[in-house]
Amino acid sequence: MIRIFTLDEFDPALLKALTKSLYTAFGVGSEHSGAVTAPHGQQEPYDANKLLETLPKVHALKDDKVLFLTSRKLAPRKLASGEAPTFGLSRYSAQLAVVTAVHIKNVADNVKLLTRYAMHEVAHTYGLHHCLDPRCSMYPQWTPSYANGDCIFCTYCRDSVDAKIRTTKS
Amino acid sequence: MPDMTSLAVGDRLVYPNQGLCTVTEIKTEEIAGSKLTFVSLVITETGAKVKVPREKLEKNGVRRVSTPDDVKGVVDYLRSDSEKASLDWKKRARDNTARLSEGGLIGLAEVVKGLQVLSELRPLPPKEREQYNDARHLFVEELGAAMSVQAADAEDAFDILLFVPGKDRPKRSVEEFQALGLGGEDDLGLEGDLLGLDGSEETPEEPAEPEEKAEEGEGDAEGGDEDEGPKKKKSAAIAAPKPPKGKKSLISDLEVTAPAATALVEPAPKKRGRPPKPKPEVTEPPPPPKKRGRPPKPKPAVTEPPPPPKKRGRPPKAK
Repeated sequence: MIRIFTLDEFDPALLKALTKSLYTAFGVGSEHSGAVTAPHGQQEPYDANKLLETLPKVHALKDDKVLFLTSRKLAPRKLASGEAPTFGLSRYSAQLAVVTAVHIKNVADNVKLLTRYAMHEVAHTYGLHHCLDPRCSMYPQWTPSYANGDCIFCTYCRDSVDAKIRTTKS
Repeated sequence: MPDMTSLAVGDRLVYPNQGLCTVTEIKTEEIAGSKLTFVSLVITETGAKVKVPREKLEKNGVRRVSTPDDVKGVVDYLRSDSEKASLDWKKRARDNTARLSEGGLIGLAEVVKGLQVLSELRPLPPKEREQYNDARHLFVEELGAAMSVQAADAEDAFDILLFVPGKDRPKRSVEEFQALGLGGEDDLGLEGDLLGLDGSEETPEEPAEPEEKAEEGEGDAEGGDEDEGPKKKKSAAIAAPKPPKGKKSLISDLEVTAPAATALVEPAPKKRGRPPKPKPEVTEPPPPPKKRGRPPKPKPAVTEPPPPPKKRGRPPKAK
């Protein structure tokens, strides 16, 4: 099950469309499980790593994936090789992921792109890495062509994510 | 190779092709009269337990996790416009396998970058795609441990060098790879379609045709010529544009590595192996195929009508 928790207000129709798309993409149940507030002391732009560490614990089973959705900006991460633009962040082969909709103009009409970001981060929680295929949702998000793609996985990533879902202990 | 003699419980090591592992126990046991020190390891990702004699750790390629200095070297390597992967799929597969098992962090980086650059020329075949993913997984895992950061940050740290933010990946041309001289044009492993070349840019086929006829049926020449240098391969490529059907390798790359026609015109060197048997000249049309099974019995010649069958039973009484 993919549980979506919102950190800010979102249109219910948008959330409905997002859960439906995630269900289609992964073949596992997806629902909007409620809203949570950002941890005290976190200010925009959020530090994505700190946010994931300090977010309140939510009710979820061991094999559930928890996706936090925010409309605030996530600060670019400073890494050893430079600054990485942050559209979302996840813990690999774990439970938690966060996605921001701040980069998407007119989100209500562009659920597809938000779904693509969400698919990317949820797939990371299943242990997938970035992909070489520009059409695949696992392609790095900071590339210009990413926003024009569809909510799909390439064959390799599709097989990988299916295998991971099948072997996940429940 | 870092020193493996001063191991302690809790040390983090890297097991080739398996990833990070932790030393859980170091114990001396007596086996067949000799005392051996065994190191017990637990693979972090899978939880698998491995028990290895201390002497065999280095032989198996087990090493310590890379240091931040190693990471700097790797970042510099990824940033540089390094040499491209070999276009000879056999050489590439051999090199990449060796790098994965004993190349260390820089070896993993070489595999990831090499295959990624190659994918900018053409899509990777499934086996190499799998190898790319394995290398990337091991690389991310070790880089995260070396930099003491989350895997997501480790992956993004080198991906912003490979996929530069704000820029789409460049399209590579065959010439970039050819300039290296790491493989002849025949070693591209490319079909003309994948290269996006016109038929007009290829070699005129006329010189290749007679060779092609001469070498029909020489399937054996394909096999063990790997070490004979690029020249031999080039001529083989001219002569035999498609590999024989019965000689498919298990490695799927072979299916897409039919050598492209080249502009080289060289005398074909002698082929090794038995020459092909001369085909008998066919002058007459082949006889019709024999019918299988027992031939039918000859029917007796019928001259007179057969006598009427005898009536059975008692003959009628005379009146």
